[in-house]
Amino acid sequence: MATKERKYSLTKDAFNRLIANKLAMIGLIVVALLILIALIGPFITPYDFLSQDLMSRNQPPTSLHWFGTDDLGRDVLSRVIYGARTAVLVAFSVTILSFIIGTVLGSLAGYLGGKFDSFVSWLIDITMSIPSLLLVIVINVSLKPTLVNWMDAQFMATHDEFWRNTIWVDFAIVFGSLALIKWPKAARIIRGQILSIRNKNYVMAAKAIGVPTSRILTAYVIPNAIGPIIVSFSATLGEAMVLESSFSFLGVGVRPPIPSWGNMISDGLRVWQLYPHVLAAPALVLAIATIAFSFLGDGLNDALNPRQWK
Amino acid sequence: MGKYILGRILRWIPSVFILLLLIYALVFFGAGDPIKLIFLRAPGDVAYDEARIDAIRESAGLNRPFFVQFGDYIGHIARGDFGNSLVSGRSVNEMLSAAVPVTLKLGLTAIFFLAIIGIVLGVVAALNQNKLLDNVIVGFALFIWGIPVFVAGPLIIVFMVLGLGMNVPFGWSGLFHPKVIIPLLVLGLNPMAIIIRQARAGVLEVLSEDYIRTARAKGLPRRIVVFRHILRPVMTPVVSQLGLIVIGTLNNSILIEKVFGLPGLGRLTESAIKDSDYPVILAIVLIFSIVVMASNLLVDISYPLMDPRAAAKKKGDE
Repeated sequence: MATKERKYSLTKDAFNRLIANKLAMIGLIVVALLILIALIGPFITPYDFLSQDLMSRNQPPTSLHWFGTDDLGRDVLSRVIYGARTAVLVAFSVTILSFIIGTVLGSLAGYLGGKFDSFVSWLIDITMSIPSLLLVIVINVSLKPTLVNWMDAQFMATHDEFWRNTIWVDFAIVFGSLALIKWPKAARIIRGQILSIRNKNYVMAAKAIGVPTSRILTAYVIPNAIGPIIVSFSATLGEAMVLESSFSFLGVGVRPPIPSWGNMISDGLRVWQLYPHVLAAPALVLAIATIAFSFLGDGLNDALNPRQWK
Repeated sequence: MGKYILGRILRWIPSVFILLLLIYALVFFGAGDPIKLIFLRAPGDVAYDEARIDAIRESAGLNRPFFVQFGDYIGHIARGDFGNSLVSGRSVNEMLSAAVPVTLKLGLTAIFFLAIIGIVLGVVAALNQNKLLDNVIVGFALFIWGIPVFVAGPLIIVFMVLGLGMNVPFGWSGLFHPKVIIPLLVLGLNPMAIIIRQARAGVLEVLSEDYIRTARAKGLPRRIVVFRHILRPVMTPVVSQLGLIVIGTLNNSILIEKVFGLPGLGRLTESAIKDSDYPVILAIVLIFSIVVMASNLLVDISYPLMDPRAAAKKKGDE
């Protein structure tokens, strides 16, 4: 007699829990839309994000300009879409970069233990105790002039137009300093996972009966560690996006004319009494995006770590 | 106990010192020539007169090796002297003493009120687990955790002015002026979300303990069970988040002061970044790091006071 065997795998279980969570699904859809918009941005923007139309400045939303125009007559919708590109680019690069650093240091600390572990833990504690905005400010005011001077010198030597483009310096500094802020969290989670799994009885048993390390890693360590890592990865995406906006808001992140939601909010703050749409458009979009990330992260947490919060 | 506190402080001092060294090195090697920075703004061509620049550098002692200058800086800081601003020439101490109280008052008040509201909301949510009230509170916490302050602030302003026709809460006229309420509220939103979640999780954990069931079974009223048996163990996870909350509030105050035009450390930071005013930036970074590290120290010290097991455990670790 053939009984139908139902398989409950870890991923399928987690997936079902995620699907059942309405808030998380809303978050997932919004995040997916955001990434899609960022990818196809240039093809759907109604105007160029830089083109100024001084005849139609500060227009409220119309059928021509859905989100209105700003004080230089630039289309706000196009700038918001390009802002999404900036946000997604920064969020993903920073998160991947900090997880690479965090994985290397965290897993080495977890495996090696001893002096190296206490050194990494101390480094994590110190980095986490510096307010992130200040760290970025210090990096910005100290490294940027040096980098820009160096690029000037390169331009003088080679006359290559590449060195005139300081936008990449902005992005490089945002990537680097955000990764510097975010790696300790990744490292701490990965180290904790490895420490806790390494000492589990089933791992020791597997080791004792001679299971090769590669098989232990793929069969036991990774499936058990992956949940918290995915949760933290998605949380870091959202946080990096917010941090990039707040740096740009303060003028130490992505600078105009490259649109970032942060520097658009900062621009909007100057004229909001007369033209509130210039402020409201990027602020609302950023609010929706961050809330979506927060819903998604919480849903992932519930789905992948069912023992928590219960 | 005294030994424990002393040990923590002894571990804390080298961290502050290394942090200072790092920041000083970043500015020393990265920022460029301070004399040129000063005289770029001065009338005349002083900044391009190499001989005069060298003379000034010599007299200010800026041609000495890095570690000598760093030692000098530490000496000045130890005597409470942060030097002078490159832009206005005013003493940094003076600028700080105007700005620090504003941020301090705002931050402490925000943390105080939102800790109380957060704990109450978290406990209420946990006691009504999975009911409507719980879902509303958890959803609210997720919502306010998601919105950055520099987005919430402007949106509230736009809503208040255009939607309700109210005046803009702009500027600073003391902690007891009503217009401080909106910035306070916005400043506390993110930390409140942390506190709600911690308190809720803490209560849920305690609720499953045997002694709670015993207390209920022997007929203690719910009110007394909550106040006497549940609230105390919940304080530990909440207080453990204090360091995170202080960092969040400091970050947020930099942003919120720009939105609401408050003359605190945040605005000082912003103008110092714009003008590349390094002595001011160094002093602010130092103050912020000290505040954060001191609050971490406070957490470490208050752990064994709230939960004697923590002290024994910590001792076992080291």
